[in-house]
Amino acid sequence: MKIKNIKVGVLRIEGTNCEQESYDAFKRLGANPELLHLKQLLNIDCNKDEKRDVFDYQCLMIPGGFSVGDYIRAGAIFAARIKSKLQKNLTEFVKKEYPILGICNGFQVLIELGLLPGIDDAIPSSPEACLYLNDSNRYECRPTLLKHENNGKCIFTSKIPKNDIRLIPSAHAEGKLLFPIDRQKEYLKKLEENDQVVFRYVDPEGNYGGYPWNPNGSISNIAGICNNHGTVFGMMPHPERTFYKHQHPDWTRAGLGDLIGDGQAIFESVLDNISKRF
Amino acid sequence: MDLDSLFKKKDAVSDCYIIDIFSATDNQLQEISNKMGLALDKTEMKRIKDYFQNKHRNPTDIELQALGQAWSEHCCYKSSKVPLKKYIYGIEEKKIVAREDAGVIEFDDDHYYCAALESHNHPSAIEPYGGAATGIGGIVRDVVCMGAQPIAFIDPLFFGPLNLPFKQLSKGVKHPRYLFKGVVDGIRDYGNRIGIPTLSGQVYFHEGYTGNCLVNVGCVGIMRKDEFIHSRAKAPGNVYIYVGGKTGRDGIHGVTFASAELTDESEESSRSAVQVGDPITKEPVIHATLECNKKGLLEGLKDFGGGGLSCVCGELAYSAGLGAEIRLDNIPLKEEGLHPWEIWISESQERMMFLVKPENVEKVLHICKQWDVTAIPIGIVIKEQITRVFYKGEKILEMDMNFLTGGPIYDSCTRPFVQPKTDEHEKKEKSFRMSDLNDVLKKLLSSPNVASKEWVIRQYDHEVRGNTVIKPLQGKLGVESHGDASVLKPLENSFRGIVITADVNPRFMERNPYWGACSAVDEVCRNLVAVGAKPDSLLDCLNFGNPEKPERMGEFYESCRGLGDMARALCLPFVSGNVSFYNESIKTAVPPTPEVLGIGIASDIRKCLTTDFKSEGNPIYLVGKQTEKEMGGSEYYKTYGIDSGIVPKTDTTVLKNCMNGILASIDKNYIVSCHDISEGGIGICLSEMAIGSDIGAVIDLSQISPGLRTDFKLFSESNTRWILEVKHGKHREFESLLKKHHTLFKKIGSTKSNTVIIHDNNVRFVSLSVDDIRNHWKQPIWSLMG
Repeated sequence: MKIKNIKVGVLRIEGTNCEQESYDAFKRLGANPELLHLKQLLNIDCNKDEKRDVFDYQCLMIPGGFSVGDYIRAGAIFAARIKSKLQKNLTEFVKKEYPILGICNGFQVLIELGLLPGIDDAIPSSPEACLYLNDSNRYECRPTLLKHENNGKCIFTSKIPKNDIRLIPSAHAEGKLLFPIDRQKEYLKKLEENDQVVFRYVDPEGNYGGYPWNPNGSISNIAGICNNHGTVFGMMPHPERTFYKHQHPDWTRAGLGDLIGDGQAIFESVLDNISKRF
Repeated sequence: MDLDSLFKKKDAVSDCYIIDIFSATDNQLQEISNKMGLALDKTEMKRIKDYFQNKHRNPTDIELQALGQAWSEHCCYKSSKVPLKKYIYGIEEKKIVAREDAGVIEFDDDHYYCAALESHNHPSAIEPYGGAATGIGGIVRDVVCMGAQPIAFIDPLFFGPLNLPFKQLSKGVKHPRYLFKGVVDGIRDYGNRIGIPTLSGQVYFHEGYTGNCLVNVGCVGIMRKDEFIHSRAKAPGNVYIYVGGKTGRDGIHGVTFASAELTDESEESSRSAVQVGDPITKEPVIHATLECNKKGLLEGLKDFGGGGLSCVCGELAYSAGLGAEIRLDNIPLKEEGLHPWEIWISESQERMMFLVKPENVEKVLHICKQWDVTAIPIGIVIKEQITRVFYKGEKILEMDMNFLTGGPIYDSCTRPFVQPKTDEHEKKEKSFRMSDLNDVLKKLLSSPNVASKEWVIRQYDHEVRGNTVIKPLQGKLGVESHGDASVLKPLENSFRGIVITADVNPRFMERNPYWGACSAVDEVCRNLVAVGAKPDSLLDCLNFGNPEKPERMGEFYESCRGLGDMARALCLPFVSGNVSFYNESIKTAVPPTPEVLGIGIASDIRKCLTTDFKSEGNPIYLVGKQTEKEMGGSEYYKTYGIDSGIVPKTDTTVLKNCMNGILASIDKNYIVSCHDISEGGIGICLSEMAIGSDIGAVIDLSQISPGLRTDFKLFSESNTRWILEVKHGKHREFESLLKKHHTLFKKIGSTKSNTVIIHDNNVRFVSLSVDDIRNHWKQPIWSLMG
């Protein structure tokens, strides 16, 4: 299908707050995004023309923010509301390999939903991983460098060469990826075998660095992972915040070049993939 | 008659009292005011008595409470009106589109920007987390209620010294470290959660703020011109719709609380005056409000600020020459048993008032429902200029608009003031020997007012919304340094930028309020110009002590005079502002603190500059006013405990020329980095440029004010100066362009290797590696705050 016909549902509830720049990212590339309140999918308080179905869209995105204040655990309430009524449709959506993108709070929601890590096809009833409080125990807003380590499974990074390092900033308090404590190695191994590790935090020399380059203490420096089909993808850093070069924190040193920022390729990749597959 | 017998139940149902002020003696009038927490004085109470005697009835408690709110210092600026009118108003008024809850100014042909700045000092001193959070909540509503999308927060903060020994704290005063952490936590948790970037601000430490910290909050918004909406009714019949959070006992008497000094009992007696913030109620309120406005469904819009329902209902109608009829029965409450007067004046957070045509009410309620935002019609606008309030079928308030909301006109209320003594500090300075300047520089770098504020800045999301193109921390990844101002690119299809900075130097202010205020405007302009922006408008948040004391009032007058003189000369309007008096605790008043927020326009953000050196071999220039021995209030003297010296003066002609010269050179792409010279003088300025880049410099001070001692050259804080790194090979064009603009400059060195080396008259005074400089600068606040 043509890119201009690709409908992207940018989901929001109270406390979602990166929806505008996420919407803009898809819009700038010629797709047809829509800001979509979860209640429109759940059919609550909607006029007829406001009702929506997940299959109205070829791609869903859960943007960053503090859904419902993140008061219980980041993303937990958003996920619970989705599960309450949409579980079946969403499972079907994933099964049909329509892409879902979760950034920051969206990644937290995908973990809470059990759609990630998504090592096998069964969606577990309780989460298999968590994005825990940063090691620094505080909110961190800082530039981070991500090394692309995926071998081709993730459809959101197909336009990024392997081992490329991208400047995509982080801004979160809960971003430390953890698996069940007694099975950490097992999970890591499976993720790597399945080519589900997408981004790792590195320092400016390209080495796996400690804090602050890994801003949260995430296991094995992981910043983003996809499911075993490569169609559900979550990452803590914000690619929509380096869509253009002038959003980079150091552009006055590095120059503006063609204005294309390091995060743009993620949105391009998924649109390209959808246009070829559907 | 004893006091209690003056209070009588009005009727069986309405839970209102009638207060027999006719029978009260003058002293009892004052006692009634105290008992009810009205903060009205005897004269004001007598005036109220006269009014009701004409009406042949005694007032109800809700009527007196409403008057207490409407007439308080906070609401109608009774001490500040005269000096503000004399000095601050009337400058470039034609540029101001509106001055309501926020000031509105043109951004481009199709857009306005708007901005507001206020204080939230007393609540933050009592309960730092809640106080600061609700400060943010309040200021964002001021911008939203103009119809604008908020795009930036600015948070200037002032505390006592972080290393203050506990035994020096007076009773009831909280430790600066506790306050600092609480305030930053509050701003972080609220600002980050509602998704507006915190872009700029100031953090300052000074003994004078120990008993009364200052928390100022600013917000900038952007809107299409057709989205701009007034805070006033359009016509009788407009429906009042209450939108947002519930009403509770939090924030009762917040306005009157702000109008009295803090005492050691404030902790216990005033906690109810601090509101509770709820960002996750607020965030959808912003969405719902802006959506209703974009769809053209609103006639008028106002946020709940000081004085709660009482002020918001009154002012919406009063400003249109109309009246209001309100029913309190359906107001959603946080708890049962609130008295009607409490409902009427509560300052609970997260509430907005819409005025809507009857035919649009359903549409508005639907949008709010979709966002799960409470929205309830509670009254209508009426033709008569009267406010009426009903509760449980009883009329419990009825007053003329002019009397209640118009407030008393204090023609005669020119508070006495005395001219501040400024010459004490200027008397002849004692001479002292110059220490090793490497050591001095290291000491200054570690001074909390100079040292890295990364601890604060990285806890705020400064990039959400994706519009922040020049960030508060700038330079090479991992070694970023402080910037002068932050830049937003607010529109998708335009490279035009909004540039924001905020400043004041309290040590200048306490020595000389006039020149201190002038310096604040000078510095704000320097900051804006340094990134490549033309200053466009100013906001002021005037934080002072008790205005009933003539010395404090004198400081206020002199500060206003300074701000006004500068703004007038530079043709910059003050578009919005706030006055906060009584920032005074048992021991001392705060230094006079007129925080100035400056907004500039960058015509193309792709030309904006940062402070970090860009490459080796570029010439470095000192541009601007002559460097003089103006050491009063400087970081250098403070560090060495010297309490004398002259506060830096300004010269607006020089300032204007320099701004034009530098902006012209930036436009021509001659400059690659630029930093204004402020606290710590040339020495700190050069250090910060090196810190952000890992590039050093070789500097020769010989040409700067020959005859001046080297330490004064290096650490003087004379105004109107910048350090510029000029593109290699462009220095001739650069120099001739500056000459054309009558701008003074001196070439003082060039960027080189990774050491900062400073000579004067063939003697090497400073030689420090950039790493060494960075280490001294980076650690102090981290090590105090963890």
